[in-house]
Amino acid sequence: MCEATDDEPEQATEAGVGDGGEDADEAELAQFSALLEDSAEDLYEHAPCGYLSTLMDGRIAKVNTTLLDWLGYRRTQLVGRKRFADLLTVGGKLYHETHFAPLLAMQGKVSGIALELRAADGSRLPVLVTSTVKTGGDGQPLLIRTTVFDARDRRAYENELLRARKHAERAGAEAEQARAEAERAHQAAESEHARLRQVMAILQHSLLPPDLPQVPGMEAAAYYHTASADQLGGDFYDLFALGQGQWGFFLGDVCGKGPQAAAVTSLTRYTLRAAFLHAGDPAAALDTLNTALQERYTGTDPRYCTAIAGTLTPHGDTLRVTVASGGHPPALLLRADGTAEYLPTPGGLLVGIMSHPHFTTATTVLHPGDTMLLYTDGLTEARTADGPRYSEDHLHTFARTLAPAGAQQAITALTGLLEGFGDGLDDDTALLALGNPAPHTNPEGA
Amino acid sequence: MDAISRNNVTVTGQPDGPVVMLAHGFGCDQNMWRLVVPMLAERFRVVLFDYVGSGRSDPSAWDGQRYASLEGYAADVLDICAELDLSEVVFVGHSVSAMVGVLAAARRPDRFGKLVMVAPSPCYIDDPEAGYTGGFSAADIDELLESLDSNYLGWSAAMAPVIMDNPERPELGEELTNSFCATDPGMAAVFARTTFLSDSRGDLASVTVPTLVLECARDVIAPREVGAYVHATIPGSRLVTLDATGHCPQLSAPEATGQAIMEFAGAPR
Amino acid sequence: MTTALTLTAHPVPTGTVLTVAGELDHNSADRFRTALGAITMRPGDLLTVDLADLGFCDSTGITALLAARNHTHALGADIALTAIPLPTLRIMRILGLDRVFTIHPTPDTDPSR
Repeated sequence: MCEATDDEPEQATEAGVGDGGEDADEAELAQFSALLEDSAEDLYEHAPCGYLSTLMDGRIAKVNTTLLDWLGYRRTQLVGRKRFADLLTVGGKLYHETHFAPLLAMQGKVSGIALELRAADGSRLPVLVTSTVKTGGDGQPLLIRTTVFDARDRRAYENELLRARKHAERAGAEAEQARAEAERAHQAAESEHARLRQVMAILQHSLLPPDLPQVPGMEAAAYYHTASADQLGGDFYDLFALGQGQWGFFLGDVCGKGPQAAAVTSLTRYTLRAAFLHAGDPAAALDTLNTALQERYTGTDPRYCTAIAGTLTPHGDTLRVTVASGGHPPALLLRADGTAEYLPTPGGLLVGIMSHPHFTTATTVLHPGDTMLLYTDGLTEARTADGPRYSEDHLHTFARTLAPAGAQQAITALTGLLEGFGDGLDDDTALLALGNPAPHTNPEGA
Repeated sequence: MDAISRNNVTVTGQPDGPVVMLAHGFGCDQNMWRLVVPMLAERFRVVLFDYVGSGRSDPSAWDGQRYASLEGYAADVLDICAELDLSEVVFVGHSVSAMVGVLAAARRPDRFGKLVMVAPSPCYIDDPEAGYTGGFSAADIDELLESLDSNYLGWSAAMAPVIMDNPERPELGEELTNSFCATDPGMAAVFARTTFLSDSRGDLASVTVPTLVLECARDVIAPREVGAYVHATIPGSRLVTLDATGHCPQLSAPEATGQAIMEFAGAPR
Repeated sequence: MTTALTLTAHPVPTGTVLTVAGELDHNSADRFRTALGAITMRPGDLLTVDLADLGFCDSTGITALLAARNHTHALGADIALTAIPLPTLRIMRILGLDRVFTIHPTPDTDPSR
C-alpha cells in the first residue's frame, strides 16, 4: 500500500498502485513487463540464441537479429537469398544432406546437432542446432524452425576432451611401444647371454679331454664341475699315452677364473703334455711348465697353478705309479682291502712363481682292486651344511667307507657327495680316478 | 565369409521379379532408400545392404586397407551377387556408390543388366586444368576431412540418434526402431577419405551396360556440371534431372526418384 | 659386493708393518695392491705383513701376497708374513709357500731387530 508520497513523482509506475489484493499483484506484473518494455517481437529478435525459419527447400524466410549479429550479415543478404545449407561449412553441408535433412524429414525434428556456421567474414562459428518442422492444419509440412545455440564454450570443452583423449591414446601407444622395445632389448640380451653361455660351454669343453682314452688293463673315470656357468673354470686334467705301454696323467688347478685363467689352463695342458712326451718324468714336466708360466706371467699379475702329474707303467698285473706334486693336495688311494690312505707329497711348490722350484715326488703300486683318486681343492674347500669346510679328514673318512671301489664307482660316489654340498660347493672341482680293475671284473673304461 | 550377414543384406519385394540392388553412398546406410522401397517392391526383387563400416554391417569384417579403395566396396557388391547368385541386376548407386557400380560391372559384366546413378560424382574435387568442375576445391575437401577428424565428438554424438516415438508422424511406424545411419566415426572417416579423394573419371568411358544418370536440380554436393559430365562420358547414357533440392532425392523427392528408377528398370534393353 | 678389508700401515725403524684385517679375496685384492703401492720402500727395508686378523683368503689372496713379494723384491726390499691364521697356513703349506715366504709366528715389535 503505497501512498502517493510524491517523493518520486516522475515514476509513472507508482501511479495508480494501492488498491490492494490480487488486483495489486496483476498490476504489479503488468508494470513489471511495461518496465522491461518487452514484446514478443523483442524476445524473438534479441533472444540469447539464434532463430531461423526456412521453407521446406531450405530457403531462409526469417532470421533474428542475434543470429545476424553472430554471422555478420544484414537481413537482406539472407532472407529469400540463401539457404540454410549455404551457411554451413563443407563438412556441415555434407552432414546436412546425409543426416540432418533426412532425419528432419522422417521425424519432423532433430536436436542438438553440432555444426559449424560460416560467418560473412569467412570465420567459423561452432553451434548446436535444433530444428522442427511446422505443419499446417492438414499435416502438410510448411516450414522449418531452427534454433541455433552458440557452442563455442562447449566446442572448446569437446576439443579439450578430444585432445586429452588423443594424448592418452598416444601415451598409451608410446608406452606400448616402449614396452615392446624393452621386451625386444630384454630378449636380445637373453639370446646374447645364451649365446655367450654356449660359447663358454664350447670353450670349456675344449679345455678338457673329450673322453678319457680306453687304457688296456686300467679303468679311468673323471668328473668336472664348474662353479659358475658364466665363467670358465680353472681346473684341468688329462690322460694320454706315452708309448711303450706307459701312460701319463695330470690334474691341476689354475689360480683365478675367467678368460685369463682359461688361457693359463690351455697353456698348462699343452705344455705338460708336450713336456711329458719329451721328458717322461713327472717332476721334469712340472719344471718345464714352471718355466713356461714364469716366462709368460710375471710381476704384478703372477699366474700359477697347482698340479699333480704322474706316470702309470703296467707291470704284470700291477700298475706302477710315479707322481710329482706342485703345491697340490695329495692323491688318495683306495685299496682293495678296504683301506684308504693319502699318498703324501708334501713340500712341492706351486707351479709358475719361482725359479728352481721343488716338486715332491712319490711312488706307489696299484694292485688289482686298487684305485687312485686325484682331486682339486674345490672338493676339500667346500662348505658343508654346518659351515666348516669339508676338509681332507672328512674326505679320508669318506674314502674309507667307499673302499674298495673301481674308478667309475669312486667317481659316482664322489659326484653324489659334491651334489650334496649344493651351494656350499662354490669353486670348480675336478676329479680323476685311475684304477687297476679287480679280478673277475671287466674294466668299465672311461 | 557370409556376405548376407556381413553386409546386413535385406531382400524384399517379388521373389521372382527382376533384381534391383540399392546401394547407399557416404554418410548413411540402406535406410536412405526406405521411401522408395515400397514402390519398387511391387514389381521387383529388391536387394538392400550396408557396406562394411556403415549401418549395421559386421564391424569385425572391417579392413582399413580394403575399404580405403572403391574396389573394396565393389568387392562387397560382388560378394553379395555371388552369394545370392544374381544376374541382370539393375544396380542403383547413390553418390559415390554409382562409381562402385561402375567398378563392379567392369569386373563382372555377367552380373549386371543396367546401371542407375543417383546424384553421382566420379570426382568431387575441381580439376581446372581439365576444365572439370567437381564442386569442391582441394582446400574444401581438406577442410571436410579435417572436420571429420576433429569434429569426431560432434559427429559421433549426432550419428547415433535414436528414432523416437513420434506421435505427430504416425506414418513412420514402428519399423524405424533402430538408429538411423549410425556409423563408427573411425570407419566413416575412412569411407569419407575414399569417397572424396577418389577420381573415377577414367572408368566412365568403359561402361557397357545401359545407364541412367539421375541428378537433382539443386545439389551442392554433385552440382549440375558433374551430372552433365557423367552423361557425356558414358556412352549411350540417359540423363534425367529431378526438380529436387539437395543431394538425396530418394529422401527429398522419393516419388519422382522411384518412378524414374522403375521406368528405366522396366524398360526393355 | 664389498669385502670387509682393513689395511693399516705404520712405519717402524726397519721398514713398515702392514696390518691386514678381514678377507683377502678377488673382491678386495685390488685394495691390497693399491695399499701396497702407497708404501715407501727403500732397499734393505722390511715389509712385515701382519695377518693375525686375516679371515678368509682364497687363491686371489695368495696371488696378491705373491705379487707383494715380487713387488718388494723388485724394490730391493724384503717381505715377511706374521701370525698367519691356521687355515691359510695350511693352504700355504700345500702350495709349498711356507718355503717361499719368510714366516714369523707373531709380529716382531722389537724395533731393534
